[in-house]
Amino acid sequence: MSSEQEKLIAELIEKGLAGDMDSINAIEDRVLRSKVKSGLAKAKRAAKNAAVAAAKESSPEESSAEIMPSDHPNQKFAFMIEEKFPDSLADTLNDTHIQIKPDQWFEIASWLKSEPSLYFDSLQCHTGIDLGENMLEARYNLHSMKHDHKIEIRIAVSRDNAHIPSIEQIWRIGDWFERETYDMFGIFFDGHRDHRRMLLPEDWEGYPLRKDYEVQETYHGIIIPKVKEGWE
Amino acid sequence: MGVVHGEEMVLNIGPQHPSTHGVLRLKVKTDGEIISEITPVIGYLHRCFEKHCENMTYDQVIPFTDRCDYLAAMANNFGYVVAVEELMELKVPEKVEYIRVIMAELQRIASHLLALGVYGLDIGAFTPFLFMLRDRERILDMFEMTCGARLLYNYMWVGGVSHDLPKGFVETAFQFLDYFEPQIEEYNKLLTYNKIFIERTADIGVLPQDVAISYGVSGPNLRASGVKWDLRRNDTYSIYEKFDFDVCIGDGGQGTLGDCWDRYYVRMLEVKESVKILRQALAQMPKDGDVHQALPKKIRPPKGSIYSRTETPRGDLGFYIESDGSPIPTRVKMRSPAFTALSVLGELAGGWMMSDVISILGSLDIVLGEIDR
Repeated sequence: MSSEQEKLIAELIEKGLAGDMDSINAIEDRVLRSKVKSGLAKAKRAAKNAAVAAAKESSPEESSAEIMPSDHPNQKFAFMIEEKFPDSLADTLNDTHIQIKPDQWFEIASWLKSEPSLYFDSLQCHTGIDLGENMLEARYNLHSMKHDHKIEIRIAVSRDNAHIPSIEQIWRIGDWFERETYDMFGIFFDGHRDHRRMLLPEDWEGYPLRKDYEVQETYHGIIIPKVKEGWE
Repeated sequence: MGVVHGEEMVLNIGPQHPSTHGVLRLKVKTDGEIISEITPVIGYLHRCFEKHCENMTYDQVIPFTDRCDYLAAMANNFGYVVAVEELMELKVPEKVEYIRVIMAELQRIASHLLALGVYGLDIGAFTPFLFMLRDRERILDMFEMTCGARLLYNYMWVGGVSHDLPKGFVETAFQFLDYFEPQIEEYNKLLTYNKIFIERTADIGVLPQDVAISYGVSGPNLRASGVKWDLRRNDTYSIYEKFDFDVCIGDGGQGTLGDCWDRYYVRMLEVKESVKILRQALAQMPKDGDVHQALPKKIRPPKGSIYSRTETPRGDLGFYIESDGSPIPTRVKMRSPAFTALSVLGELAGGWMMSDVISILGSLDIVLGEIDR
């Protein structure tokens, strides 16, 4: 392509971005016209991406300005976490749960327990859930006996890399809870000192509470009966 | 000359053993008579409760909750229906609430009687066990009178109960309470203040408060360590705020705070409080009202999730339910109080004698059906 032609295309794209499509459509040469059009689409996409990135960059400040007025305890706790551990929240704030990223979970958990104004001394419930679309999620219900407040923490991980830091040394019941979640969902808890199955035998295959679980054919030579479809 | 080995010995208790209260296996490392490490192995009674729940409608789950804690099935029904009703934001008629509280408290007495009696039996006291089972039988008769079943009731439904109270139930219940209250004194004479029993339980297996909370121990086991925490008071549900009763805590009456004797005695005190609640509830209950009035035609909770807790005889029973708006739950997690109570055993039993393990395990009052689900 000659430099002259390139110059012409660039000019036409600029015209197109400004809204002047007629001069592009008027081009006689089909090859040139399609080149201009594809260049135009590319330019538009780049502009859009830049706008999204700019919005993302400015959003944390914006959202924090938005959430401050909300008096819901869940939002307040989430805001405290975000303040202490920047870039740890994985989702916008809401009234039901706090969605966080797995990386800093151990530090956040120890802080949640030791910070005097929070003092979540009791891990009430911990469970996994299969979200479908290759995603698993661990959920923690924390409660403070002293202040009588509670939160739900959610951590989503992909199936291919289902690793979450273990909080077994912070709340001791986490030991058995995490082993059960590993047993049923195959989420690995890094740093767990006794990472074994809880309810199923050690040599069982698969993770039963995943939605696509298929039971193994035999276990030590015993044929496992298949579940009948529906109920009689 | 042979060599005397001073090494550790691994001893296996269970899975078939009368004092493990079901099919529980304990791997015990002993140094002579002293326990150095104890590892519970569970799962022998795993029946895939949670997986089954994902293939059934919400009301079909209720009979399964019976079979989890088969010694306090009413309380498990109660915990589950409260969770589903909370998710649906369903209000149930006042009469239903009264019936549920009456059933839950009768169940608490029945469950505690078995726990106390079997605890005596574990330690070698046979007679109190027979006395307590005799009185528990009268409560089971009342359940049979109400819904036809003696152990697994399927009595509480989402939005109501399966049957109204039968004619003459209130009178029978009052008669039972009048008969039962003096019996508590007899149990105390027979077992509670028995010298041998105190020797076997006081100062044994002391559970400090912070350890108990960290391990998620709840219910009578937690209260025996001196924590005044009862969901009926602290996170009240149903109509418990209407009744006047005390939250009983351990006080180290025969030894140290949080020992086996305290865990036993808190249950005995709680039986008295349940009698108190029952007397109030039976007297205040509205005479008429339809118990099926609020039953939903189709149980279809809105999209969302809930974690709801109730106080069963064994402690905080939690249900985590995730709904996608369909008639079948996406996920039902049962957080069982016996599961958390058993997890503390390793911490609790280390350093004690072999015979104390039975004392400590019995005092936790576990039900394996609920642990393995």
